[in-house]
Amino acid sequence: MTMTTPVAPRDHDSALSLLTADAALQELHSLLMTTDAPDEQISAAAASGDTSPEAPSVPPAKRVISADTRALFEDQALQYMDQLYAAAMRMTRNPSDAADLVQETFVKAYQAFGQFQQGTNLKAWLYRIQTNTFINNYRKNQRNPYQGTIDELEDWQLGNAESVTQSTSTRSAEAEAIDHLPDSTVKEALQSIPEDFRLAVYFADVEGFSYQEIADIMKTPVGTVMSRLHRGRRMLRDLLADYARDRGISSAPATGSTK
Amino acid sequence: MTDCGCDKAKAELEEYLHNELAKADAADIAEHMANCDDCTGEHEVGVVLTAAVQRACKEKAPEELRAEVLLKLREIQATH
Repeated sequence: MTMTTPVAPRDHDSALSLLTADAALQELHSLLMTTDAPDEQISAAAASGDTSPEAPSVPPAKRVISADTRALFEDQALQYMDQLYAAAMRMTRNPSDAADLVQETFVKAYQAFGQFQQGTNLKAWLYRIQTNTFINNYRKNQRNPYQGTIDELEDWQLGNAESVTQSTSTRSAEAEAIDHLPDSTVKEALQSIPEDFRLAVYFADVEGFSYQEIADIMKTPVGTVMSRLHRGRRMLRDLLADYARDRGISSAPATGSTK
Repeated sequence: MTDCGCDKAKAELEEYLHNELAKADAADIAEHMANCDDCTGEHEVGVVLTAAVQRACKEKAPEELRAEVLLKLREIQATH
C-alpha cells in the first residue's frame, strides 16, 4: 500500500516516529500495516473537480475511508499537530480546550480529506478548519466584550498611539530588551491582546502565512488582516516595553503608552 | 535611484518584514535603510519582535493528545 504523493517525500521512519509513543500504539501500527483493505474509494474526480488521480477523493455524501486514506492522512497531516496545538493555545488560552480543539480539527479534516486537493497547502487547509471550529464551537464561550467590534475601535481606545518619535539609541535599547525578555513574558503579552489581533500575529509571525492566506483562514479582507497585524504588533511591542521597564531590563520608555 | 524616504519606508516596513512587498518596492526599502539608521533601527525592532513571538509560541502537543487522535481516526475508519 505504497502511496506516492506530490508533497515532500516523507519516509516511513518519520511517519512511524509518531507511533513510537507506547506499546498500545505499536500494536495499532502493526494493525495498520497489515490491514490490506480493499480499495473502496469511489472515483469522484469528476464530481469534485480534483485533478490529482491519486488523491483519495470521494463525494462527501458517500464517504468511504480506507486504511490507505488513513495512512496518507496520518503521514501528511499529523506532522502539524504541535503547530495546531500552539495555535489552539493562542485561541482557547487553556490546555484542555486546546487539546479538544485540535482533536476536533483532525477528526473534521480526516472526514473531509477527500475534498482536500493534493498539492495545495495542507497546513493552511488544516488551519482553516481549526479556525472555523474555534469560532463556531469555542469562541462563544469566551467572547470578550470587544468581540466583533474590535476592528472598528480607534487606536486610542485600545490604549496605544501610533506617532511616537524615538531616538535611534532608544530603539536599539528596545530591540535589546525584547530580545532578552523570557518566553513566558512574551507569551503572556500575546495572550492578553484581543483575539483577532493575536491570531493575525500568530499566523503571520509564527506560521509565516501570507496576508492572503491569513485572509482566507480568518475569512476577512486582506486590508483587515494588515490592520489587525499592525495593531496587534504595536500593542505587543508596547506591552513588552512596559514589562521590560518594570523589570528594569532596559531604560527604554514605554512606547506610545497613553496611560 | 532616488531614496524613497522615511515616510514610505516606515509605512511599508511591516509588509517588508513579512515579505509582502513587490520586488521593486522591497528593493526601495532596503536601499533606503542602507542610508537611514532610524528606519534600520525600526526594522530591527520588528525583526526581534517576530523572533520573540516565534520563540514564545514553540509548543509541543501533549503525548496523550497524539495517542487520542490516532485512536479516534482508527475508530472513524472502522465505522465506515
